[in-house]
Amino acid sequence: MFDVQNLHVVVGGAEIIAGLTLVVPAGETHAIMGPNGAGKSTLAYALSGRDGYEVTQGAATLAGVDLLSMTPEARAAAGLFLSFQYPVEIPGLSAIAFLKAALNAQRKAHGLDPMPAPELLKLLRAKAEALKIDMDMMKRPLNVGFSGGEKKRFEALQMAVLQPRFAILDETDSGLDIDALRIVAENVNALRAPDRGMLVITHYQRLLDYIKPDHVHVLAKGRIVASGGPELAHELERDGYDRFVKAAA
Amino acid sequence: MSIAAELPNRRIEAWKYSDLRGVVGDQPHVLREGLDIIERLAPGTQQLDVPAGETRLLVERMDDHRHMDARAVDYSVGEGASLTRVVIQTGSDLPLSVARVRLAAGAKYAQFVLALGGRLARIETHVDVDGEGAEVELNGVYMVGAGRHADLTSVIHHRVANCVTRQLIKGVALKGGRGVFQGKIVVERGAQKTDARQYHHGMLLEAGAEIFAKPELMIYADDVQCAHGNTAGGLDEGSLFYMRSRGIPEAEARALLIESFLVEAIPAGFAAELDGELREHIRAWLAEARI
Repeated sequence: MFDVQNLHVVVGGAEIIAGLTLVVPAGETHAIMGPNGAGKSTLAYALSGRDGYEVTQGAATLAGVDLLSMTPEARAAAGLFLSFQYPVEIPGLSAIAFLKAALNAQRKAHGLDPMPAPELLKLLRAKAEALKIDMDMMKRPLNVGFSGGEKKRFEALQMAVLQPRFAILDETDSGLDIDALRIVAENVNALRAPDRGMLVITHYQRLLDYIKPDHVHVLAKGRIVASGGPELAHELERDGYDRFVKAAA
Repeated sequence: MSIAAELPNRRIEAWKYSDLRGVVGDQPHVLREGLDIIERLAPGTQQLDVPAGETRLLVERMDDHRHMDARAVDYSVGEGASLTRVVIQTGSDLPLSVARVRLAAGAKYAQFVLALGGRLARIETHVDVDGEGAEVELNGVYMVGAGRHADLTSVIHHRVANCVTRQLIKGVALKGGRGVFQGKIVVERGAQKTDARQYHHGMLLEAGAEIFAKPELMIYADDVQCAHGNTAGGLDEGSLFYMRSRGIPEAEARALLIESFLVEAIPAGFAAELDGELREHIRAWLAEARI
């Protein structure tokens, strides 16, 4: 369902992703692990269409639809979701107003009317409860003064509300304590479905104890240098990335 | 006589960004004697004394699109009294306003100005903090499109101890629009334990937009907490991408971001109707601006 072929990405004149190929079939969850500077966040941003992440070569499709020619908002409407490593703070905009704007924009893109307020509130309440998010938090300015854990839980809430076809989770574990990690992971797992794929980007194997991937890939120097089953994550945890970084050089 | 020769031009320090002489030009006006320029242009000075312990709310709408609209007001806020003033400036010609406010002990003055600018609009506020324990909140938002000039100028004079000032001004300018913020806070020798914060944040939405800022803190007391911050920049690219990555189209995301940037300066606690009116002005301006 999610198909990336020979992707090259240039940021500020430097090639960060250098010929990356990755296929995630529907229903599967894949993990990308790699050392600092391997290009993990660059991959996530380039696939989501952020300005300044220039794709110079290659292709990326979601359910057969070419993503690279689309604006970020069109990619979202096509079903792509990026859970940010560092969610942005927006003072003056409540979390609930933001979610409402996002959900209704996506509905509009699919020719649907805005969701009536009572229905929206009911939906948010149910999803927030599962993530142990207080409804009072939803009235606060978006991500402002949220703890690291609250920010990541709110990312998971957005994903639960927007119901993407394919989600990229960029270091969702960073800034989370063990309890928050478990809650976020449970909710991500609840979204696993035969018609939905996920790509989990992480430094550490710990997250993968909770979100069990079908496949693990090692990213080094902008390319996938090794792929394997979940046991690869344990191997990396034990031996480190050195071997792969050297092999990629 | 022609007043042009008497009007301040950009050579006068306090008017250096707002060249009133250049804008008004050689039109005949009759001036009154012995007052500052806006007071002399105004047909009279409106006075209000808020008695001790009482609360007042004033909403002024400056919406004259065809004439010079010069206003002078003089307020005194009694002990423990509270005055809130909201100015909504939409008139596009020459809205000129000067307010002189005196605060007694424990008095509160809260002001919010929403300015769309005019050929030349200037909302000038002077606050004398004369009584201990008084509190000042001077907030404002300006939004200037092509050909509009909005000037928010204020002087807050702390003369006694234990008083608080909070000032947050936010503004946006389009190509050909000019925003001006001049904010002076004077903390006199006797005004120990003053707690004053002044912030002005401007956003230049297009090339060719102009924002001038002149923040001034003059502190003569040695046991005070004073801070100020002043920024001018563009829309945050990271925030814009975050919103677009959730499916919000670029134009809508920009408008939402600018709106959320501006509404931060609207004080909490306004009646829903007034708060709604102010937000509606902001949304309507953004809808028309099509950034």
